Amino acid sequence: MKLNDRPYENWHEGLTIRGVMDYMHFTWPKLVVKVNGQLVWPEDYGNVVLKEDDDLKIHHLLGGG
Amino acid sequence: MIRMCDLPRYADADMEEIKKMKEAHVVLNQITYEPKALYRGYTDKRLKIDVSDNSVSILDIPQEVKEKFTGGKGYCLRYLWDSVNPQTRWDSPENAITMSAGPVAGITQYGGTGKCLVCTISPMTDIPIDSNVGGYFGPFLKFSGFDMIELTGKAKEDVIIVIDGNKGIISVEKAPLEHRDAHILGEELTAMYAEDENDRKNVAVVCSGSAAEHCNLSMLNFTFYDPKRNVVRLKQAGRGGIGRVFADKRIKALVCRFKGVKANLNDVYDIKILNKDGLKFHREVATLDNKQNAMRKSGTAYSLQTLSDYDILPTHNYKYGGTEKVSEMKAEVWQEKWLTQGGADGCWYGCSMACAKTADHFLLKTGPYKGCRVCVDGPEYESAAGLGPNCGITDPQVILELNFYCDTYGIDTISYGTMTAFLMECYENGILNKERTGGLELVWGNAEADLELLHLIARNEGFGKIGALGSHKQKAYFAEQGWGDMDFMNDIAMEQKGLEYSEYSSKESLAQQGGYGLTNKGPQHDEAWLIFMDQVNNQIPTFDDKAEALYYYPMFRTWFGLLGLCKLPWNDIVPADNSLRDEPAKVPEHVDNYLDLYYGVTGVKIDRDDMIRMSERVYNFQRIFNIRLGKGLRRNDAIPYRSQGPVTEEEYLSRQERYDRQLVELVGKTAEEVQAMSLQEKMAATRSYRESEYEKLIDAVYPKRGWTLNGVPTVAHLKELGMDLPELLEIVEPLQDVQP
Amino acid sequence: MKRLEKDEALCTGCRQCEEACSKAFYKTADRMKSCIRITDREDGTHKISICTQCGICAEVCNTGVISRDAKGVYRLDKKECAGCLMCVGFCPEDVMVQSDDCLEPSKCTACGICVKACPSGAIRLVEE
Repeated sequence: MKLNDRPYENWHEGLTIRGVMDYMHFTWPKLVVKVNGQLVWPEDYGNVVLKEDDDLKIHHLLGGG
Repeated sequence: MIRMCDLPRYADADMEEIKKMKEAHVVLNQITYEPKALYRGYTDKRLKIDVSDNSVSILDIPQEVKEKFTGGKGYCLRYLWDSVNPQTRWDSPENAITMSAGPVAGITQYGGTGKCLVCTISPMTDIPIDSNVGGYFGPFLKFSGFDMIELTGKAKEDVIIVIDGNKGIISVEKAPLEHRDAHILGEELTAMYAEDENDRKNVAVVCSGSAAEHCNLSMLNFTFYDPKRNVVRLKQAGRGGIGRVFADKRIKALVCRFKGVKANLNDVYDIKILNKDGLKFHREVATLDNKQNAMRKSGTAYSLQTLSDYDILPTHNYKYGGTEKVSEMKAEVWQEKWLTQGGADGCWYGCSMACAKTADHFLLKTGPYKGCRVCVDGPEYESAAGLGPNCGITDPQVILELNFYCDTYGIDTISYGTMTAFLMECYENGILNKERTGGLELVWGNAEADLELLHLIARNEGFGKIGALGSHKQKAYFAEQGWGDMDFMNDIAMEQKGLEYSEYSSKESLAQQGGYGLTNKGPQHDEAWLIFMDQVNNQIPTFDDKAEALYYYPMFRTWFGLLGLCKLPWNDIVPADNSLRDEPAKVPEHVDNYLDLYYGVTGVKIDRDDMIRMSERVYNFQRIFNIRLGKGLRRNDAIPYRSQGPVTEEEYLSRQERYDRQLVELVGKTAEEVQAMSLQEKMAATRSYRESEYEKLIDAVYPKRGWTLNGVPTVAHLKELGMDLPELLEIVEPLQDVQP
Repeated sequence: MKRLEKDEALCTGCRQCEEACSKAFYKTADRMKSCIRITDREDGTHKISICTQCGICAEVCNTGVISRDAKGVYRLDKKECAGCLMCVGFCPEDVMVQSDDCLEPSKCTACGICVKACPSGAIRLVEE
């Protein structure tokens, strides 16, 4: 499984997007999340289960300085 | 929670005192003039005041200058160039302070349209600094008939300059009785030049503070009067020591009065466009700000906790990227305990982003105003991070007090924070000690010593004289005294080109190292803020991607400073469907809004490529200006190692897993080799790798920008931009083939 | 205190109120120039949006040009108004008027013209 084009080392059966966010300590709320190119809305972060070969992108949108 | 409606208004100034102050003024020169009305965003006039002889001139701005330089920063740099020569220093009389708002500034319908750009030769960097500031002076200057003001020369005694844009009167006056500190001087001049209470909002003041006479870090405050609080608010042209130049010229303040702010003083081409986009923007903020950054509630300090979570919040002089204690100063704490909620807190009319928060009736515990209850503007993210965890402080009360005193003394919070962090690390490492600091125990988190240092700088006493130098000059001084090793200090002092870094730890983002290191003015984040895109999102993985970003973003963001715009409404609020667009980080709908605003004001249709082109002209001009003054080549883009990787063992060990893994994944060692390496060997290998990565980055970025590998704009590129001006070719032609 | 009140059940969707308001103040029949707006719902009922004198417009104005009069009605002083349109954008009922022919927006003054124009008594002016 890849997260933001980097190998994701903590995949396991039943891993959800929410699980990835918790593990990575992704606390920023403004995200654009796509699994294999498909947009996932926030209400589904806890439902979408990831497969071992999924391409997950969690892009943070932060205006910054 | 402190609510606006529960807040008592601040007390009025003592009008008897104000009257006495006014009567003590001596007018040295006064002219009357016919204020030229704006047409499609411009008056094409500039005001030049030479305080050596108090002469006031009104000059034209020719069409060619408008075409190539657009306005704002472009105008500022053009006329600064014309005023100086290659030998000019910051304190030469011919050094000019130029200020220009830009053609879109002064419209009222859209958020963030009141900005002004200020330039001068910086006492910190010895090259031009450009600084972007809110408040009412920029628009009022335009309404008074001037696209730009240029201040040159040096007065023999302190003067103020007063512009009445309705009556058409400009005067240079001695103002001996007014105070120096901004929170008082701003009130005095606002009360003095307002015809009545209702007129106070029509007076804008520019001033530094009592530190400006001797502190390199001094900035300019730009005021606006807040009718709901009955107090004068302070925004800052913070970076680069412009306040020091102002005071060196013996200018105490500028005052501009203009009554009659209306939505179309710019006499725009098509006001319907402005109305439509402005209303759309306000509706967006009204419905979405709460769900996004809550800027209206916490200002730019919303991101403190988040940046700590992602290892980006500078902590202990950028050694670390965050601290658990940041929870004491996260957004909710500011909202609930310190910052007044429900105010209309834009720094120009029509800014619904309203991020200029205040802590009201704040009780000061130290310094000359101890015991007073004051209005504290801020803190911005930068101030909170720099004055806070970067120095080991996480108490909002302390941060507010430091912020207040920096503002009123006229000291840049970013430089002060980053510099103090450096001094603290020096103290922690024995480079400084109680004897050398005159008793200031500058250890991490010592708020008392930190505040005392600030007061000493303002009074120009004791260790305050060293504090006033800024970290670049402090290194040289400490080395001269034999107190510290120059190599170590060069590694840890977070400054480049003489200017302190702003408050993001770039260690894990090569793109941001370039975002800071490859700037014109010095390491300020307003050119490129790429950390999340790079470090977290991994959206610019290759050198080519990073180079493209380090070409595009600085050019894109330069555009705001040509037009008089604030960047926050661009991407600190985004439309609801932004994530569905291509390149959501660029917030395409808002970029379209800005193209609309430009067209609506000037009647000139431009596209995204034009935006970049307009910026590139000015950006390359500034680069060549740097070369002209001796600091615009590749070697000047070198960065301190603390901005790139772990300088000390404790830094390496704090992220050992990451660094060890990178030795394998990136540097090409085997796991066994890494196991066998000593800590010093691992640190050396990490450093060597990271330093070479930065060089490779530069090799990719410069050509994208149209520069040689030595950082010199190529003749071909200048021709393409229409910037093959003789004065520029004269500088770059001999350098075309010079190797770095 | 003076306030408009509504009873949506009585509204027939005739929009005489919109016409009366916009004609009175903008000399044209245009619902976007009316401070009262009727929206048709899918189920055939009508939503009446009126100024509830909530005061949010006054709160977001940086210049204080909107203030409450003695009867609790929020009034906009056009003379000092800089035309920034924040009040229009933040109105939770979306019943402030912005017109391209005029630099300043306008708002409901609880004048009662719409009440007089309503044939079914769906809106009334209440004075306490």
